Amino acid sequence: MTRRDKILAYLDNHTENDTASATTEQIATALGILRPNVSKELNQLVREDKVKKKNGRPVRYFILKETSHVTEKRLEKKPTIGFAGSTALIDNTENTTFTERVENNDVFAGMIGSRDSLKNQTEQAKAALLYPPHGLNTLIIGPTGSGKTYFANKMYRFAVAKKIIARKGFTTFNCADYAHNPQLLMSHLFGYVKGAFTGANEDKDGLIQEANGGMLFLDEVHRLPPEGQEMIFYFMDHGTYSRLGETAKVHRADVRLICATTENPESALLQTFVRRIPVTIQLPAFDQRSAREKLQLLQRLLTLEANRIRKNIRLSEDVVQALLGSVTYGNVGQLKSNIQLVCAQGFLNSMQNKNEINLKFSQLPPNIKDGLSHLANNRHELGKVTRLLEPMMVIKPDFKRGIPEVDSYELPYNLYEIIGDKAALLKDEGLDQSSINNFIMTDINLHLKSFYRQGKLDKTVNSLSEIVDQEIIDLTEQIQRFLQEKENYPVRESFIYAMSLHISSFIKRIQSGKPLRNMSDDLVSMVHDYPGELKIAGKIKKLVEEHYGFPIPQSEVYYMAILLASLRSEPKTGKVGIVVAAHGNSTASSMAQVVSQLLSVDNIAAFDMPLEMSPKVALDGIATQVRTIDRGNGVLLLVDMGSLSTFSSKLSEKTNVHVKTIDMVTTAMVLEAARKTALIDSGLEVVYRELREFAGYSRTLGKKQEKNEHTVSKQMAEQKKKAIIAICSTGEGTAKKIKELLDKILIDNLIDDITVITVSVVKMKAKIAEVQRDYEIVAATGIVEPEISVPFISLENLLQGGGERFVSLIEQVNDHNLDSVHALEQSETLTEETSQKYLDQYFTFINPNKITKILWDYCDFIQQHSDFIISNTFRVSLIMHLAGALERYLTRSEVEVDQQKIVAIKSDKLYASIKQANELLDKTLNIKITEGETYYLVALFNTEKKKINTL
Amino acid sequence: MDVRLLRIDSRLLHGQVATNWAKAISVNRILVVSDRVARDIMRKTLITQAAPPGIKANVITVEKMIKLFDDLRFVSLKPMILVEDPIDAKRLVEGGIKVKTINIGAMSFDSSKVMVTDTIAVGREDVKALKWLHDFGIELDVRKVASDSSKNLWKALLEKELVKDA
Repeated sequence: MTRRDKILAYLDNHTENDTASATTEQIATALGILRPNVSKELNQLVREDKVKKKNGRPVRYFILKETSHVTEKRLEKKPTIGFAGSTALIDNTENTTFTERVENNDVFAGMIGSRDSLKNQTEQAKAALLYPPHGLNTLIIGPTGSGKTYFANKMYRFAVAKKIIARKGFTTFNCADYAHNPQLLMSHLFGYVKGAFTGANEDKDGLIQEANGGMLFLDEVHRLPPEGQEMIFYFMDHGTYSRLGETAKVHRADVRLICATTENPESALLQTFVRRIPVTIQLPAFDQRSAREKLQLLQRLLTLEANRIRKNIRLSEDVVQALLGSVTYGNVGQLKSNIQLVCAQGFLNSMQNKNEINLKFSQLPPNIKDGLSHLANNRHELGKVTRLLEPMMVIKPDFKRGIPEVDSYELPYNLYEIIGDKAALLKDEGLDQSSINNFIMTDINLHLKSFYRQGKLDKTVNSLSEIVDQEIIDLTEQIQRFLQEKENYPVRESFIYAMSLHISSFIKRIQSGKPLRNMSDDLVSMVHDYPGELKIAGKIKKLVEEHYGFPIPQSEVYYMAILLASLRSEPKTGKVGIVVAAHGNSTASSMAQVVSQLLSVDNIAAFDMPLEMSPKVALDGIATQVRTIDRGNGVLLLVDMGSLSTFSSKLSEKTNVHVKTIDMVTTAMVLEAARKTALIDSGLEVVYRELREFAGYSRTLGKKQEKNEHTVSKQMAEQKKKAIIAICSTGEGTAKKIKELLDKILIDNLIDDITVITVSVVKMKAKIAEVQRDYEIVAATGIVEPEISVPFISLENLLQGGGERFVSLIEQVNDHNLDSVHALEQSETLTEETSQKYLDQYFTFINPNKITKILWDYCDFIQQHSDFIISNTFRVSLIMHLAGALERYLTRSEVEVDQQKIVAIKSDKLYASIKQANELLDKTLNIKITEGETYYLVALFNTEKKKINTL
Repeated sequence: MDVRLLRIDSRLLHGQVATNWAKAISVNRILVVSDRVARDIMRKTLITQAAPPGIKANVITVEKMIKLFDDLRFVSLKPMILVEDPIDAKRLVEGGIKVKTINIGAMSFDSSKVMVTDTIAVGREDVKALKWLHDFGIELDVRKVASDSSKNLWKALLEKELVKDA
């Protein structure tokens, strides 16, 4: 009798269910076998399902007898998620029938959040679909990747299930696909008749006809040209439309219409169009959804991948956190792409394992790894997520979930099959495993990148390759992989930028035979503090030497060590938080957005208060934002009206966070607050005190000027030259490149009085102090953020096109007119009076006093009769131009235009409206605007329209 | 810097006329040069926003314009320069900005001025500046849009007996 048989026999005799069971200890003593050996056998038996175990301490084992059915059932029911014990694919019958039953009844019930953050939206959608007799047209609004297509699809499935559409058919059209060619777009939608345009050789039906009896989904509807919107709303009103080239609207179609946009419909769509869509469904951004929902979404998306791979996916807590934190701007869509990326990678690394793939944190791509620190920055969110997490999560394929629905984040091919085939092929060719992995990982990245709509990585590397040779970028990527995989050295996203620029500069230096950089004592003593980095730098040196085949001087190793030390992620805790709260639908959030983009800071939250919002709701909303943004150092609340400033104490009470309030918020003030709080050692009280004294960047404003006139003039006299400092490890290589880049942007903005000065991190503080003696430092950029109170832009941001914004910020700060653009468009400052003042200034023969009102009405008339939205700026231009036209009439010097051009504009949509408006002038002033002048008026409108479209 | 056009127009960049010019002579920048406007946030904003699509407009002072003109860093600019009056035009030419012709669009009237053509009014200081420019050898071309036929302002000034040929 073997040891195993003995144990089986013992259990058979002494146990029958989970109460009549035995512990390892009991068995070991009874049979006289060593405990570890018993334990080993028992584990094997449990795996073979010959013995059951009851969890708990100590673990009890037993052989189940026929009599105890009930227990058996309970034990077999394993959760789909959270327990990794069995590798068999479990068909969780009970669960599935439940889902199916629900889905039959209500398609929406299976959607994550349908009882929570999407509850209202779901109700809205159902109401819109069921509304008698034909349902209501619906507009779905939500940021990129928030699931608009998915939601529309659900609506369609609901309509099918409830038999409220005549025919099965869900037609999708993305208006962005043909946005550059409105004619083609319209012909796709509405169809055309033979001869409507060159190439229209036969009659053709459009998508509207194709969708007859079904549902039509117009995605990115804001890209539909105004003519198209008009045709669509005519169709909504009457159910009839015309194909291109037809004059009468004779075609009829019964189509349920769902439109979607990422933009604010108030500004991106014709008002006449929006008015005709009674139901607007707003989908929340990913970060507005609850922690539980986020996790459910993650699990659902992972299940889709598990279905594809037909293996379990095992991932640890930190991988889940990193994935959730990696969602920055792209919402669920981005999460999906990121999950596909890490699953593809995991699939490759676990190719040998038939049953499961294992996602390890150490193997994640750096931008996903960064997600963990991103999430960790938000303590509350991290806490909420972590409470719901098990240390290890296992996702099993769930075939009842079926294949994923088609959407724009879905790869058009099976990536895993491609990986599998390719790996087999490479193996046949005799490659070793690590090179196979290397090859395929490049492939995966390529596939996903080419597919990833936002193409974030692509863009980055492209702009980097403009200043660094591709060879060096490749080498740096190789080094990055080496550090991650072999050395387990943490590498962040910025590594590629900083390191490739650094290598590029010293390779150029060596190749051109310039003298070696000397190794100062400062450098040596600084490196002394970073022995780990020095060791790694030595290894990088070897890699570079191998690649180029010439020796790299030891001094470079020291500089590289400094670079590595600078790149180590800094803890981001402790900043004072900022919450902007203001009345209006987007006033606060747009201020916060501008500033966080300009300064790339993450300690600003906004709270918009539509005018009808009650103070109670506002207080709760602000409290939530205060809690979100608090890092333990208090929160500065910036509000637009005094009445809100009484919130401080209530908020402190409610949130237990120290809150200080300042009223009369402006963009300039938010900017200043962000700059001040960016320094870790500036506390709430200090920032608060300093900000109270802040009166805009302009030194020439209002009363202050009188008081300070003396000091101001003194300041002017002593004014130092302005400088931007660019920081890199040596102050020579990378920083020089940055200098070139910034100089180019400065020149483009005609800024000639700001010098870019490069600084090395070695003895940075002293050098900056030195610079400050001769210059006023207005901004900084580079590999580390210096601790001075100026706007800072990171290297990545600068290279990703943030430079332009950075410089315009500096320009605005310099020019003292930061808020002017906003002020003009938002305020009511542009009145008839102002226009009259301008007319008075510029014109000779007309009487502004009498004419302004008429020209003002002219603008209103066009606006009412054409859906052309006239901005304040454009109104001024138009009034000035009209006044000019009137004067030209009076002096009989009207502009003349070719007859041909005049004929051409007669087909312009605006021509008729402008002619009508001109008649008004004729009626009131007895002045007839010539066709030549009309031509210029139409042209003026078209220029404006083009400008709006290119914005 | 290759100045494609120096134009006097008291309305500066308003309306379609300036856009028409910008297209006709292929400029890559519109520089509105006026000390007054550079200080007036409202007008500055209006003007930079009135720039035609694809061409950037900046409002700068006369002093800055002169500084930029000689600065080699700005050598690739091909601007159309707009000034409000002949006096600023003269300051630019004095400051070293090289042009053969100055285009005059519209100069607004006030009671201290006289009308020379239907859109151009000149005051005493304007005439002085225009004479200086003429004597400097610069042609004074009157056109509203690029396709108009060119008229010479100097002739009109002579006819009105505001100036005498030396």
